[in-house]
Amino acid sequence: MAGRGGNRSRLLLVILLVTSLFLITLDLRGVSLTKSSRSATQSFLAPIQKGVSSLFSPVGNFFSDIKNFGKTKAELAATKAQNAKLANELILNADVKGELAKLRGALNLAGHGGYKVVSARVIGHGSASTFSQTITIDAGTADGISTDMTVMGSTGIVGVVKQTTATSSVVELMSDPNFKIGVRIAGTQSVGVVLGQGDSHFVLQLLDPAGTIKVGDALVSLGSDGNKPFVAGVPVGRVSAVNTNSASLTQEADVIGFENLNDLGVVTVVVAPPAHDPRDALVPTPEPTVTVYVTATAAPGTLPVTPTGPTVTPTPEPTPSAAGTKKKATK
Amino acid sequence: MSPIRAFASALFLFFIFTVQESAVARINFPIAGFSFYLAVLLALMALEESSGSILLGFIGGVILDLAPSTGSPFGQWALILTLVGYVIGTNRESIGDFTSRPGAYVAFVSAAGAITLAGYLLLGALLGENNGSIGHNAVVILGNSLWTLIFAPIALPILAKLRSLTLTSRERV
Repeated sequence: MAGRGGNRSRLLLVILLVTSLFLITLDLRGVSLTKSSRSATQSFLAPIQKGVSSLFSPVGNFFSDIKNFGKTKAELAATKAQNAKLANELILNADVKGELAKLRGALNLAGHGGYKVVSARVIGHGSASTFSQTITIDAGTADGISTDMTVMGSTGIVGVVKQTTATSSVVELMSDPNFKIGVRIAGTQSVGVVLGQGDSHFVLQLLDPAGTIKVGDALVSLGSDGNKPFVAGVPVGRVSAVNTNSASLTQEADVIGFENLNDLGVVTVVVAPPAHDPRDALVPTPEPTVTVYVTATAAPGTLPVTPTGPTVTPTPEPTPSAAGTKKKATK
Repeated sequence: MSPIRAFASALFLFFIFTVQESAVARINFPIAGFSFYLAVLLALMALEESSGSILLGFIGGVILDLAPSTGSPFGQWALILTLVGYVIGTNRESIGDFTSRPGAYVAFVSAAGAITLAGYLLLGALLGENNGSIGHNAVVILGNSLWTLIFAPIALPILAKLRSLTLTSRERV
């Protein structure tokens, strides 16, 4: 009896393994049946994700809030003093305000570069079991979005549209291990490729063997043929460390992205490139340098030092132009 | 496993998949994410007899392959989970009955989750996929196991109860 049961299990195993291999082969050969089934699932999930998104928005960062509890406690006294002043501002929902700030930043960046964009809200994240870094946004083909379009945030590139339905799209984040983008070092104009590593760090491979990379170098997108998948001039990241390896043919460097991919609320999708390449105009200016002047005053017997206080060199806010931005109403 | 129960399990798994994709995936877990769906699927597979475990693995794999965020070929999850189902099924007698050993049940689901994810990555590597650095993937696997260990004790008793409701009187014997 057990033997018959074992044979039946093995037969079932063989049938199902062959079926799985058949499905993999179909997918690898580009049969649309498998791709359309994922699109259909996305169409089904998008309205649910949209509904759950507003519900889960305050809960999403629950764990990081717990982690920062101690720090928050220390700031509590100062915050209490400010509470009265801020009370009248609470009319607007804090969540909506946050989204508006992100939207403004994203539209500023797009407008400054002259990109025509569609703004969209992030309604879903790729699950842990898929090992791919993706987000789902609430805009699709009905809003003019198609695959291989550049997606930007308020400070730089976010990723590229991978899949679309009428009302939603899946965006491959630049942290995905399969993500590659051609970049140019702002200033030296050396060309390289930035590769996603699965986390918040990226690797720059310089294509020019004679080129040089320095810590702090800003990287902007090089742009693709026909502006797909990447438009030119979008800030990508900043070099954080240069890896010197004499055995390697190309120079490599660690890069930190301009955009915080763990905190995406609103993004913009570039639907049309600018008339002129914005070159390095969109590169964020570095943090202002704090210069402390110390004046020594001579006195008999003592040498008192009088600090005159820090002087901060202000950096001007980029002045965005609203022209060329197509704004989608965010819910 | 009766066809009706296979169908009911598929519907239930699809519901859990919807919860995973729309709600659980929205939470920024420290260390790495948590696949609630994988935990539920493996917990159900652990309670099935040999062919039931294989069939449930395949159904659960096909549903997971439907995830829009998946970059792997359609069928990769089905293949891995069918194999995991076979391994669980063939060792069913030596594993014993989990319903009376909740601690072992939770540990088994957590370990099985880690093995499944590692198998998925290995198959992906054979198919030429780029799934990131080994270190990062190790963190994802360990993080998922850790969260499974934490959350499984809450979910597993409910799951075992739900499953017993779908059993026919013959399957109960």
